[in-house]
Parts: sequence; structure tokens; C-alpha cells
Amino acid sequence: MSSPVARSVPAAVRSVLARDRWALAGTVAVVVIGLVAIFADVLTAIEGHDPYTYDSTALDPANGLPAGSFGGVSGEHWFGVEPLTGRDLFAIVVHGARTSFLIGLAATLVSIGLGVLIGAAAGYLGGWVDRVITWSADVFLGFPYLVFMIALGAVVPADFPRALLLIIVIGFFGWPTTARIVRSQVLTLKERNFVKAARTLGASPWQVFRTELLPNLWGPVLVMATLSVPGKIGLEAALSFLGVGVLPPTPSWGRSISAAIDWVAVDPAFLLFPGLALFAVTWGFNALGDGLRDALDPKSGVRR
Amino acid sequence: MYRKKFLAVVLLGALGVSACGANDQKASGDAKPEKGGTLRILSESRSINFDPAKSQNLAITQLALVHRRLTGWQNAVGQPAKVVPDLADTGKTTDGGRTWTFTLQDGLKFSDGTPITSADVKWGVERSFAPAFGGGLGYHKDLLGGGDYKGPFEGKELDSIKTPDEKTIVFTLTRPYGDWPWIASTPAFAPVPKGKGAEADYAEHAIASGPYQIASYQKGVEVKLSRNPHWEAAKDQVRTGLPDEVVIQLGQEASVVSQRLAADSGDDKFAFGASFVSPAQLAQLQGNAAAKSRLVTSKSGAVAYLGLNTQKAPLNNVKVRQAFQYAVNKAAYQVASAGSAALAGDTASTLITQGIEGREQFDLYPTKPEGDPEKAKQLLAEAGFPNGLDNLTLVLNKSNNLTDKSEAIQAALARANIKVTIRSLETDAYETETNLAENPAYDLTLASWQPDFPSANSNIQPLFASSEIGRGGYNLSRYSNAEVDKLIGEAQSTVDPVEAGRKWAAIDKRILQDSPVVPLIYTRNSFLHGSKVGNFFIADFPAYPNYLQLGLTK
Repeated sequence: MSSPVARSVPAAVRSVLARDRWALAGTVAVVVIGLVAIFADVLTAIEGHDPYTYDSTALDPANGLPAGSFGGVSGEHWFGVEPLTGRDLFAIVVHGARTSFLIGLAATLVSIGLGVLIGAAAGYLGGWVDRVITWSADVFLGFPYLVFMIALGAVVPADFPRALLLIIVIGFFGWPTTARIVRSQVLTLKERNFVKAARTLGASPWQVFRTELLPNLWGPVLVMATLSVPGKIGLEAALSFLGVGVLPPTPSWGRSISAAIDWVAVDPAFLLFPGLALFAVTWGFNALGDGLRDALDPKSGVRR
Repeated sequence: MYRKKFLAVVLLGALGVSACGANDQKASGDAKPEKGGTLRILSESRSINFDPAKSQNLAITQLALVHRRLTGWQNAVGQPAKVVPDLADTGKTTDGGRTWTFTLQDGLKFSDGTPITSADVKWGVERSFAPAFGGGLGYHKDLLGGGDYKGPFEGKELDSIKTPDEKTIVFTLTRPYGDWPWIASTPAFAPVPKGKGAEADYAEHAIASGPYQIASYQKGVEVKLSRNPHWEAAKDQVRTGLPDEVVIQLGQEASVVSQRLAADSGDDKFAFGASFVSPAQLAQLQGNAAAKSRLVTSKSGAVAYLGLNTQKAPLNNVKVRQAFQYAVNKAAYQVASAGSAALAGDTASTLITQGIEGREQFDLYPTKPEGDPEKAKQLLAEAGFPNGLDNLTLVLNKSNNLTDKSEAIQAALARANIKVTIRSLETDAYETETNLAENPAYDLTLASWQPDFPSANSNIQPLFASSEIGRGGYNLSRYSNAEVDKLIGEAQSTVDPVEAGRKWAAIDKRILQDSPVVPLIYTRNSFLHGSKVGNFFIADFPAYPNYLQLGLTK
């Protein structure tokens, strides 16, 4: 009987990047957009615009559309400008990456953290704890959380930090999926001899969790985290699209896409750039996550 | 310099309207409308209130298809709107505007065949005082001295209205009031058969006096209006009543409406949109000559303004409020509203809207249309806020792209270190937090005001009289100034329109010295109609199409 984790995590990542071109491409996309998010201020300083300043000189005075072809793309405005406002679209997309990454990654941390703790508790402690947690997870999985988030977005006071609210809400509703997988992993792990030995020697559940279970959970947790980031980023975009996400003027891809829909017939570039950015990030995380899963999961025989 | 620009824009506006062939029946494809057919109105709202007591409709839109009032409006492109006889004449006064006598025409009938008498008009007005039927235009309530009056359903009559015979109705006002014939054109002056209309859903089966009666009413879906057999065109000078049937489709997405009307296929040829064409659709229409010819833009219209809550710190400081006059960017607001200054409307600096008798053009806070953030910062520093203002809330109603427009305001104020959070709410939530709230929490609000009748009174009194604070009133800046209240009372009592106009202009200036609002633009409204809808025009006042005059062409 082999360990459920085929090899150490860094080795797995190295090997998947060496062999799997899709995973490599996904990683590149994620790293590039991640760097863009980190250095958003530098990049917009190089281009010379910020995402907040209105500039009517960049617009066609007749109808408020971006002046010039393809949404006003030029050396001055790399992605063109937003119609009616003249705000620089490159700056909006770049700062939007920061919003997306911040909320996506932080919400993933919250949901994975909660999921691992709750799932491990259910699997290891068993009994009524297990039953309550499994039952709650089922309830949460069936809960119409999007409707709940929209309602919450409408009633929470405006001075509550919006990004924090989104992180908490999106993160909180993500725990059941993680918890279920971690629970099943822990159920098999706890029958293994090294766990039994630790328990016999009098280790507390917390010690067992930290020293015996957690090291063996890193693989599946990493895969789950990677695969859930795009979902979280997408959810943030969806909420912003619906007008209950990040508040203006903070740039958000979802809000830009929502605004761009009305303009798609006359200014497709406005939809294209934020749309492409959202696509690239979600695809990148998915490709990377798939590759990691293939590498870390011995049961999966798929090799590319 | 202003004058030059003003002329240019007015000219542009005039060209725009005439090029649309609005009221010009010789224009392309605009054949004379004929009797018959089914007219379709595509509406964004989910319900239409056909209860005259609850309605805020203008005298020329959908409510007037079903209900006539004592007086009506006649309007046309290039002419000031006039109050004209409808059910009755336009009223006579012998004591300088305190007592008004109206005489009804002979032989008027309701849709159920019963005759319309002065008692029915009185009943309709009394009904508007009942708490259960509030929410309509209420200019008459205070003037009729109905302070404690709770409507006719408790068995009491309103003593200030007398009906000496079936055709005569006499109003005795609490003070002389020159604009009373205009007030008599508001929805509450539609007749309701005496003794009826006690049920809350009267709106859905209201008894008609106009050319159409309600055939079916499905909330959120559609309202069908069929001919009222007892309406006679010869006895109605404000309605042509040409279509045989009117279908109002409710809950239509504004952008979808524009796309359907631009495509102009099937039944949509006989339709028009009741909501404004959004900036994205306006830009799209620029490239579609056929659809563009069916776009009608008003010359002027409501004043869009930024309301400053004068009862809440730090905006209770007049210096701070004056800083906002310089901090806003009216040019960016124009672009955000409609894509260009020409489509959005002129920048505003007065409270009285363009085309209103007595209006004086002035600017107490002269600056560029883009604003002057440095001057605003300086005023804030003088008021004791050298680092600007933080954490202000701007609350608004989501409809009509106000969210996009508010972002233009937010960005402009940020230049003067004024940090604003935007809260966009649905209509009901917005009203709960603003004009229905006892002690509202907002600092700023974005709104616009179209006078309900073409008098400066209707520009000023509803927004700035202290009696209009809260309880559903529209004094959103919660501006309370005893001096202004007194001046408003005096101007309302002035019957001579020229003299009254002069007084209103002085009040306009007086109020703006206190800077309770920042006038932004006089908004132009754009509407789109199908190719078989004829005589679709927007007159100088109001900035909405006249539903009563249009018809279908063959």
C-alpha cells in the first residue's frame, strides 16, 4: 500500500511543469497576471495614466465613444479608453487584476483553511461531530449562496470595507467542498499505522492533525486551492457584474464587463480586454490545477 | 461668452428636433397619422398607476389617455405650453386668485355611461386626501386647506370645494394662487364617480373619462386599453384618440426596447419607448440612419442636480457646500449622461429650468464646465477642512444610468480631496432612505427635477420649501430657510405671471447663495419610436412626448 501522496509537492510541481505544456502555459499566465497585479502602479506609471481620472479629450465629442479606432487603442492608451468617461482601460484592467487576485486568493485561503480544519475534524473525530459537519456541508452545498450574497451586498453598510466583505462571504461559502475531500482523506489516513502509533503514544487530536495528517494533506489541498481560485475570481466578477461586488471607483473586471455589454455593438474593445484578462486568469489556474492533480494523484493515469 | 454658447446649443437642439421630423408631418416617412390600429408603448416600469389620486403623471402622458382632468395642456415644438380647457374651461377668478370657478362642458360621460358631474370631480380631489391614496402630485392639498382632512371615505366633505350645480365647481383657496388653472390639470383633478374608488386596487379598473378604458391589467406584463365608447372627440381638444387600442408592455429592459425599436420589425413599427434611450444606444444609433431618423430629443428638460444634505455635518456649513459648486465637473457629467454635450443638454447654473416664464440666466459660482478643484480646496480650507472631506455617502436611485453619472461626480469631487462612496438603490429603498426617512444618513444625492407644470413655482417650491422635507417630499437637500419660505409664499400668491416670474428668479438666486444643491445640466431626453408612429413630438415643455396627439400611419 503506497502513500496517497505520490511524491513531495515541490517535486510534483517541477515534474508537471517539465512534462505538461498546458500546465506550464497556465502557470505562465497566472504568474504574468500576478506580476501585473503586484506591479500595477509601476505599469500604469510607465503608461502614464491612472484608472480614476476622467479624460474627455480621449473621447469622440459627438457620441462619447473612444476617439480613434478599436476603442481608442494607441501608444498613449494601450488598451484604449472607456466610453463616456475616457478613463484608461489598461489602467483599469491592470488594477482590476489586483482586485481579482486579492479577493480570489484571500477568499481561497479562507475557504481552504476552514475546509481543512472542519474536514479533518469530521474525519478524525468521527461520531456526532462528523454527522453534524457532513450534514451542514450538505446544507451549505445546496444553499442558494449567490442570492444570499446579492442580498448581503445590498444591506451591509457602505462604510464596511467592501473587499473584506467579499473575501469573508465568498471564502465562507467555499468550505464544504474542501471539507468533504479532506474528510475522506483523513478517514483513510487515520487507519494508517503512523497515525495509530501517534495516537497510542497519547498525542492530542491537534498534534496528530499538525504533525501526522497535515503533511499528507498538502497535495490534495494544493490541487483544490488551485482549482478553486478561478471559481472565486469568477464569483467576485459575477457579483461586481451584478452591481453588488467591489464598489466604484475601485476597478473590477466584472463591473467593466457589465458596463461593456451595452457597448459591445459599437465598442467591442471595451468588452475584449477585461474579458480576456478574466479568461486568461481562470484558464491559467484551471490548467495549472489540472496538471497538479494529474501529478499528485496516483489514481489518475492521465499523462500529457 | 455664455450667451454665445447658449445660442449655439439652442440652435443645435432646434436643428436636431426638426431633423427628426418630430412635429413635421412632411418629414421622411412621417405620413399623417390616421384613425385605427394598435399603438404599443414599451415601458421600463413594472406597473402603471391608473389611480388619479396616486399618480404623478404629467398631463400629456399615459394617465391622460384614460383620465381627463378639469384643464389640459396644449404644447407644440417652438411654442410655450398652454393650459387649455379639458373637462371644464380654464377657470375664472374675480378676487385676485383666491376663488376659482370652473364650468364643465355639457354631455360628458364616464366609460360606464353615467354623466360626469362637478360632484365627481370634487370626489376625485377629496379622494386624494385619503391617506390610503397618497403619493400623487399634491400641489393642491395645502392650498385647499386640507391640513387635517382625511378624505371622503370617513363621511366628511372638503368645505373649500363647492358644487353649486352639476356643471360648476368652485375652489376657495387659503391664499391667492395664480397657477391654479395649471394645478387643475394635475391627476387629482380627474373625475372619480362619486362614492366609488374606495378599493385599494381601483387603479386596475378605474372608470375612464378619456378616450380609452382599461380592458385588462397584468402587473409586470401588460396593460390593454380599449376605446371608451362614451368619449367624443368633438368635446376634447387635447386628445386625438386615434388608435383603436393601446397596449402598454411593462417591465421591458430599456436596452432591449431600443434594440427592438431600432430594428423596427413586426408590431414594433407601431411602438414607442417610454424610457430614455441610454448613451450606449445613442452612440449605436449614430451609425443607423433609418433608426436615427426615428430618434426624438427634447430641447431641454429637467435640471439634474447634486443635492447636499444641509442638515448633516459637514455639509451644514455653507462654505463647504459652496466648494461643491466648484468641485463638480459638469462637462464630464454631460458626457457620462449621453455621450456628448449636445445630446446631454446644457450645463446648468440656475434652479429654474430653461423655457420657464421669468427665468433669469445667472451664475453665482462662475467657473469652467470642468470645474475648479483648486478653488474648491481653498473654500474647504477656509471652512476648516484643509485636508478635504472623507467618507461622504452619495445615495441614488439606480434607474436611468444614474450610477454611471454618479461615478463622474465621484471622480470630479476626488480632485478636490472629497472622497465619496456611492450607494445605488432600487426605487423603493431609495425613497425609504431619502424622502421618507426621518433622519436620513446620506450626505449627497443625485437627482433631477422636471417641473410638473411650466411655472417656476413648480421648479422651486417642491425642492426648497421647508414643508417638503421628509414625508415623501422632494426637498432632498433638507433645506430649511424661513426667509425663502416666506418669499415662496409671496411669489405663489402673485397672479400676474410677469411679476411672479421676477419674484421666482429672485428666489432662485437667494437659494443658490446658500448652495443647497449643485445644478449640473438641463437634461435632454431622447426617445425612439417605430416607423408607423406619426406625430411623435417633444414640445418645449415638458421634455416628454405628447402621448395624446400621436397616432399610427398607414
